[in-house]
This record gives sequence, structure tokens and C-alpha cells, in this order.
Amino acid sequence: MSNIAFQRLQREFKEVITNAEIAQTGIRLDTSDDTLTKLKGEIKGPPDSPYEGGTFKLDIIIPDNYPFHPPKVSFETKIWHPNISSQTGTICLDILKDQWAASLTLRTVLLSVQSLLAAPEPSDPQDAVVAKQCLTHPQMFTETARLWAQVCADAPGERNSQLYKKLTQLMDMGVGKESALSALSCNSWDVSKATEHLFS
Amino acid sequence: MALDENATDQPESSTTQATAGSGEAAGPATGPAAGENKDDNSQFECNICLDVARDAVISMCGHLFCWPCLHQWLDTRPTRQVCPVCKSSISREKVIPLYGRGGEQTDPRDKAPPRPQGQRTEPPQFGGFPGFNWGGDGAAGGGGGGAGGVQFSFGIGAFPFTMFASTLNFGVGDRRPGAPAAGTRQHDEEQFISKVFIWIAVLFMVWLLLA
Repeated sequence: MSNIAFQRLQREFKEVITNAEIAQTGIRLDTSDDTLTKLKGEIKGPPDSPYEGGTFKLDIIIPDNYPFHPPKVSFETKIWHPNISSQTGTICLDILKDQWAASLTLRTVLLSVQSLLAAPEPSDPQDAVVAKQCLTHPQMFTETARLWAQVCADAPGERNSQLYKKLTQLMDMGVGKESALSALSCNSWDVSKATEHLFS
Repeated sequence: MALDENATDQPESSTTQATAGSGEAAGPATGPAAGENKDDNSQFECNICLDVARDAVISMCGHLFCWPCLHQWLDTRPTRQVCPVCKSSISREKVIPLYGRGGEQTDPRDKAPPRPQGQRTEPPQFGGFPGFNWGGDGAAGGGGGGAGGVQFSFGIGAFPFTMFASTLNFGVGDRRPGAPAAGTRQHDEEQFISKVFIWIAVLFMVWLLLA
């Protein structure tokens, strides 16, 4: 990593950790190694969204030529959102691609991801299945996204009993929590279809 | 978070060292150096490296950068040259270098990449037409029969009339600068030579018509 990238990351870290205002927005930054190439981010689900109160972890990989090229950001926590892959966590956000600017920081990137959660853009999807559901069955999308946040991101609130019952039904068959969620959500919460999808 | 604290420790420790150093020296000259680490200098930080701008340049949209940082940004995407802050159009030619007092001891242009030069425009000059006054001074200082006086006359027309006009200088008065006044001996001599040439011209044309 170049010197400019390392020095800048140190400054960004200092800003995120020491600034109380940033802590209020529910953004955290963490690192696992001294080289600062692989970082962990954390954002709170924005209010008035299905993700409210959830804690979402993100993987951040800093390229060698940072800040001239954008960092690679993806969700580690599973999330049901039209612009985020429900399988891999890849984010579709213009500032992480061609609209990147060198003056953007990790803080502004995480803020942008947070506002993406509040304002999904199903017309420019990353996950086609989620986007289709978001456009055709908005009510089911909201319920699904909320249950995902509750199950995967510890979001508070009453779980939708109808959906949660179907989930436990699949989990009782020995299916993992996340794959059961994914199979049910992709098959419009039809248990028989989801089972078929999982075991075929 | 333990490693985060390590990351923040480094700049903090350097800050304390800088302040301690200036305290020991107790000189007013070290004041600005210690102040660099304070927040009041943050408005002079480069928008790319977030450090105090070195070899500073400013864009037309008013955003401050280190020239090496901005150069690398422009180099990274040659097809999309936009300001990293406000995304307005930006180019190598349209940034202005900032020269502070006592900042640069060496010429920043010697470094790679070179910082673009400032643009100087000369103030406009007034006082006549500098290209057309030659001859006037020579006539005044020469005194030898208005030797320096050069006169041009331009004309557009059809053949024999143009010849008359240009040869006989119809309608063109004596516009030479510093021409001798009427009544002086020099004026009389010039009039005489002029008449001689007119008669030569008339005879030449008569000969042309007859021949």
C-alpha cells in the first residue's frame, strides 16, 4: 500500500473513532490487521426502514491505489435489499464504481450505504429476485426485509409470526438459518417450493 | 477495537512530541509548526490526502489540493476529469498554484510532477499606434529635407483611373508627420520636385496613349 493511502486511512480512522457525531449515526470502523488493507465496517439500519435497529457488518478491502480508486465494500451480514445481493452481499452503488471521488472517505461511503438502505432503488437492481418482489409485492418485500434484519442483524421488534413459523419449519428439517431464509424468500414464502429448491 | 487504538495512537503521539519540542525551544518561530496539528488548520487540508496541502493548487470551483495528489487523480481517469469534491469539470490548465510566504525554499516545478505555472498578463499599453509612428521622429531629428517621412496610400479601382490616382496623389493631402510648412524654402523645393514628377508622369501617359 502506498504511503498516501496509509496516512490517509490513519486520519480517517481517527476521525471516525474520536468524533461523537459520527458515533451517533451508528457507524463504526474496525481493523483486523496493521496494514489497514482489510477493514470491518458496521452500520445501524436507518429509522423508518425495514432494517431499523439492525446492526449490519461490512467487509471493506482497500486497494493499493486508494484513494484514487474506490474501496471494495460488501455486506458480511445477510440482507434482503434490491441493490444488495442476498447471496454474496455485493453492493450496487455508483460511488463505489464509476462515480467514486478521491475526496470521499470511509465515513461518507458507510453513510451512503446507510442511506441506500433507507432508499432502495429497485429500478437499478443488484439482486433481480429482490427487486422484482420489491416492485410487485411491496408489502411482502417489507415483511421479508424486516424478518431478515431481525434474524441476521439482531433488529428489535415483533417477528412476523406467519413467516417465522415457516422459517422454523424449514430449520427443523436441519436447514441452516440463512439458507432457509434465502430459499423461502426467493420462493415467495412457499414452504413446499422452498423445500424442493433446497433438496433438489 | 484494540488495533484501532493503535492506529490512532500514532498521530496523537507525534502531536505531543511536536508540542513538547516547541515548548522547549520557547521560540515564537516554532509556533506555526505546532499549530499545524490543530484543528484550525483543517481548512487548509488537501481534499485528497487530508493532510495540510503541499505544493498547493486550487481549482476554479475553489477546492484545495496538493498538486501531486490532484495530478495523480487526473492521471487515474483521463476520460473523466472532474473535481474530486464537487465533480465540476476540471483540467490541468485551470488550476491555480498558491504561493504562501516563506513556504517554498525550492522551486516546486523541479519536482515531478511539475506544478502548473501561474498565468501573468501584461497590463494594456496606451499612447497612439506604436506600429505607425516610424518616420515622425526621423523627420524631426534629421532636418535633411524630411528624409524619414514615409507615406503609404492604398487604392482600389479600375485600370487607368487607379494609375492617375496613385501617381498624382489625388485627394491625398500632405499627411507626412513633420512636413515642412508652406512658405519655407524646403516646401518650395518639394513642390518643385513634385511638379517635375507630375509632368514626367503626364508625358509618360501621353506617350502610352499615342504609342
